[in-house]
Amino acid sequence: METRIDFLEWLEPDMAFKILSCLDDSADLVRASAVSRYWQKIVVSNGLSKQLCMSTFPQLACITHVVGPSHENSSERDHRAYASLFRALTSFPLTYCIADPVSASSTDNYPQESIMNTLDPRDTIRSRGSYWSSKGSNDPETLIYSLTANICVITEINLHPFQALFQFDFPIYSSRFVRFRMGHPKSCNELNYDFVDAQECADGKFIWTYTSQMFPVIQQNRLQRFKLPEPVICIGGYLQVELLGRVQKQASDDKYYFCVAHVQAIGRQLSPAFSVEFSEPSNNVSLKYDVEKFGLTVSNRQNASLSTGLLPVQPPRQLAWGNLQDFMQIVEAHDDGVEYDVWVDELDPIL
Amino acid sequence: MTSSKTIVLRSSDGATFEVDEAVALHSLMIKHRIETGGADSTTIDVPEVTGNTLSKVIEYCKKHVEAPNSDDLKSFDTDFVKVDQAVLCHLAKASYYMNIKGLLDLSSKTIADMFKGKTVEQIRETFHIKNDFTPEEEEELRKENSWNLFV
Repeated sequence: METRIDFLEWLEPDMAFKILSCLDDSADLVRASAVSRYWQKIVVSNGLSKQLCMSTFPQLACITHVVGPSHENSSERDHRAYASLFRALTSFPLTYCIADPVSASSTDNYPQESIMNTLDPRDTIRSRGSYWSSKGSNDPETLIYSLTANICVITEINLHPFQALFQFDFPIYSSRFVRFRMGHPKSCNELNYDFVDAQECADGKFIWTYTSQMFPVIQQNRLQRFKLPEPVICIGGYLQVELLGRVQKQASDDKYYFCVAHVQAIGRQLSPAFSVEFSEPSNNVSLKYDVEKFGLTVSNRQNASLSTGLLPVQPPRQLAWGNLQDFMQIVEAHDDGVEYDVWVDELDPIL
Repeated sequence: MTSSKTIVLRSSDGATFEVDEAVALHSLMIKHRIETGGADSTTIDVPEVTGNTLSKVIEYCKKHVEAPNSDDLKSFDTDFVKVDQAVLCHLAKASYYMNIKGLLDLSSKTIADMFKGKTVEQIRETFHIKNDFTPEEEEELRKENSWNLFV
């Protein structure tokens, strides 16, 4: 019987480390760590899973430690957590990641032109425009949203500039450029406040750890796609959309406005398998890993394509006229109490 | 006219190879030996490497020193590592000892590519590795890594 020499043991430890570091998928690293004790030692004690995560997703550098099953020693725990994290970041299902609006830097007519409207993909609801409008000025504006999990990986953000079909010449109130930031609140207490209703800007309450390039926006009435050059991990769960460069004046007051019909962020949410916690004031960021929930997400995975059923606000389903009670409930749910007079005034230039 | 100096490299099994100094210097280990060697630095011993492997290493260095910007360098590299496993491992080890970064990166990556996508059992078969986990440990690993379709 031939003697089996483990070639990795025959090579220098540095070499074994170098070879295993070339693996660019955590699944391969996990299998490598199960080949023999020596291989397990190289992979686990050198933190190769963590190294792979950090080199592929530099935003993870802020994580100071992992909180996971307590029976394991820290290298084993890190190995398993980071291998699972890599898997989650690259293959959990894509979904829409915006949950709620947090603030708009300004709003022209509140609540008719509130940032809340940007969650709905429609730009017209029952013949009224559904959009957010800034006040008239020359400054950049920001829209801040909370995401569906406090750790997500975002691949693209889409924006639909609003075209005012009720105004002469059908102006499109887009911006010249858009830029995105992601981050976390300076302190969780600061967000126990309704910035939307108070019409205040919450920018100063956040630490933005990622800022994208500036993307040019086209002055067209359609959903425009801004694919991030590399997927970006949002640690903290907040997204800021910054609009720069005014292009469209409103004829009636000669001021420049921005109006947005819809914003959506597409990516993978990592909860409930993973979540992050910020400890104040030390700025430690811990990554919490739930093994069971991770296993459940992996086994429940469907390869369904992204459907609008996953958006936070959906167009109402087709009405069955036989069910009048349902119909009334839907009408009441969408009633925002706007005076019809406002819209009549804005139509004046056309009449 | 500049005379190109030659260096003789001697392998572990006594085989000797005469190479241009510029080619030999591609190995940082040899470069260091020459610079710190003193008078008799025309013959360098490389006891960690056998004749067969050394001859291949020299072939790599020659190509990379003499034609570093050639278009076919990439295809040369790809073909260079199409060798059997044992030769590849010897090349990797030699490139480590002789401190030849390009060859070290190339051979490491090629070896790693040989395990990509393989199951644990397949990796053991390919590289003749003994499974030294106890059945209980194997079962534990299987359970913990079941999300990875651990086989």
